[in-house]
Amino acid sequence: MATYLLRRLLLGCVTLVAITVVVYGLARNMPGNPLTAQFGEDPSRRITAEDYARMQRAYGLDQSWPEGYLQWSRNLLRGDLGRSITRKQPVTTLIGERIGPTLLISGTAFLLIWLAAVPLGLYASARSGRPDERIVSLVLYALYSFPTFVAALFLQVVFAVWSRGTAWELPLFGMTDLPPDAPLGGRILDVARHMVLPVICQTYVSLAYDIRFIRANMEEAVRQDYIRTARAKGAGPWRVLFHHAFRNTLIPLVTLLGLSLPSLIGGSIIIEQIFTWPGMGRLFFESIRERDYPTIMGLTLMFSVLTLLGQLLADLLYCLVDPRVSVD
Amino acid sequence: MERSHGFWAEAWRRYRCRPLAVGGLAFVGFLVVVAAFAPAIAGTKPVLCRYKGRLYAPCLGYFDRRLEPAIFTKDKFRGTYPRNLAAKDPESWALWPLFFQDPYRSVRNDEWPGRPENPAMDQGRPSWNNLFGTDQAGVDVLAKMVHGTTVALLVGFVSMGIAGTIGIVVGAVGGYFGGWIDTLTSRVTEIVMCVPTLVLILSIVAIIEKPTIWHTMAIIGFTGWTGIARLTRGEFLRLKSSEYVTAARAAGAGPLRIMLRHVLPNALAPILVPITFGIASAILTESGLSFLGFGPPPPSASWGSVLNGARSNLGMWWLVVFPGAAIFLTVLAYNLIGEGLQESTDPRLREARK
Repeated sequence: MATYLLRRLLLGCVTLVAITVVVYGLARNMPGNPLTAQFGEDPSRRITAEDYARMQRAYGLDQSWPEGYLQWSRNLLRGDLGRSITRKQPVTTLIGERIGPTLLISGTAFLLIWLAAVPLGLYASARSGRPDERIVSLVLYALYSFPTFVAALFLQVVFAVWSRGTAWELPLFGMTDLPPDAPLGGRILDVARHMVLPVICQTYVSLAYDIRFIRANMEEAVRQDYIRTARAKGAGPWRVLFHHAFRNTLIPLVTLLGLSLPSLIGGSIIIEQIFTWPGMGRLFFESIRERDYPTIMGLTLMFSVLTLLGQLLADLLYCLVDPRVSVD
Repeated sequence: MERSHGFWAEAWRRYRCRPLAVGGLAFVGFLVVVAAFAPAIAGTKPVLCRYKGRLYAPCLGYFDRRLEPAIFTKDKFRGTYPRNLAAKDPESWALWPLFFQDPYRSVRNDEWPGRPENPAMDQGRPSWNNLFGTDQAGVDVLAKMVHGTTVALLVGFVSMGIAGTIGIVVGAVGGYFGGWIDTLTSRVTEIVMCVPTLVLILSIVAIIEKPTIWHTMAIIGFTGWTGIARLTRGEFLRLKSSEYVTAARAAGAGPLRIMLRHVLPNALAPILVPITFGIASAILTESGLSFLGFGPPPPSASWGSVLNGARSNLGMWWLVVFPGAAIFLTVLAYNLIGEGLQESTDPRLREARK
């Protein structure tokens, strides 16, 4: 077990180095740099050439990208993710600011998904093949194919434009319209109203996917011999379904949970972009546009670590819940 | 000698029993027809016309500018055919497209005798002249979508062609040879998998000076092969120890021959399933990129770029509903095809249906 963990962690480090080299190389080779993104195509029109050269030196932009990468990784080993060039703040502070709003959306969506997916998935497998189940499955399949950005635009049209002035009106953009000194209760309500549309968008695709996933696994499980045994000994249909079949489908479910870790914290670029939600996904999108290398690298590092951890976690949980599987 | 039904004939027989999967296939067939006849469905150039005693097909200019007959440039038609044809050759006749609308520009006042110009800004709600409405520049949405069908189809096939090739080669090599080669290919796959796809795509798009639709397709292909590689690797791992592979090796077949002739045909069915699902997600990615404004620049017409126009003015619901429905139906069709393929080729599911 210990050697397995050690091997996985070492391999993970190698992977991390490769990912960060690739992303750093890509980022530094995008046309322009943070200064041109800030001062326009030709910075000499806004600032003097000496200032430009001085700023380039200060931000390490005069180095070639391999040198810059070495510098960045040296700082990383000292626990320093660097400062954002365009936002003049440490990258860790930026991430700390943005992680809350993203968790608000993705955490709510995550809860809704799993609270609804398990009962609906069990319902679909219990009624397998009946007309009502086929309709539910078809609707879920359609939802699964429905692009998020179309859904987001459509919800905006319906709830923000067509319902303007009615009780159904929901805010289009942002996280809150109230100043920070407004009463707490009102602020919570306001944020909740802003959350509705992004949460719906983030929920429905995964919900449809997870229900289909649970159903597929249940169909596999109910064909096993122990189910026949349970039925033969007189267990009722719901008891068989829940107690005997569902417990055995928990294993792939656990894997799915582990793999959803990065998207939980990484947020969704498209949804946060459409609703101008101040979260991680939007920060990622903006930092690419602003050529803000330290932020791009900080977010990439965080995202890759989470992905690798999620995979490791899924594999470990797999061994934990299924004694037949061994890590070696 | 009478041969029994092959694997694929058997699979096709089962596939036909699934109405939804057949429906998906029919929809893709419909899109192919629309894409092939796009200039005849919507356009401002005659499908066929007789001018100064000869027959021409100016509508081919929509596929490639060079296919537009030179005589119309020489006679200074400047892209407007109806009045010029009548004025410069009273004897001429023309067969017009189904909808007289252009995907790249607004139709001007009286360009088609008696028809007013296309409404611009947010006034272009659907009407008899513009069935799906017009965008801010007054360009007909239906014409844009009909001509954008080619992009939607090509994106799926080209990018998954690239992704499928890379994925199968990487997975096959890793799975068949094993050892350090497998470690290497698995690592590379994992690296590409861990980088957030959209970030990878956005930064590559930014690096290319003048991105065209072909660049977008190539990027989606080069980033989307990891799932296929993992599956291929698994299949090759499983099949390489089977008896027929040992037999082939004993008969003196080289590794390339074994991989291509013996293992790949048997691994193809499960690999085709994620490729089909990949086509659906490639279409989603392309329209998502165009929607975010990272798509190919105009005048190339993509469904996602029509949606992008709706972001600045949500009151123009027709810019959301029609292209949104087109993207949705196409993605759904490919997903249904993938599902049908899976259920008709997977022997385990086949057992269950008995």
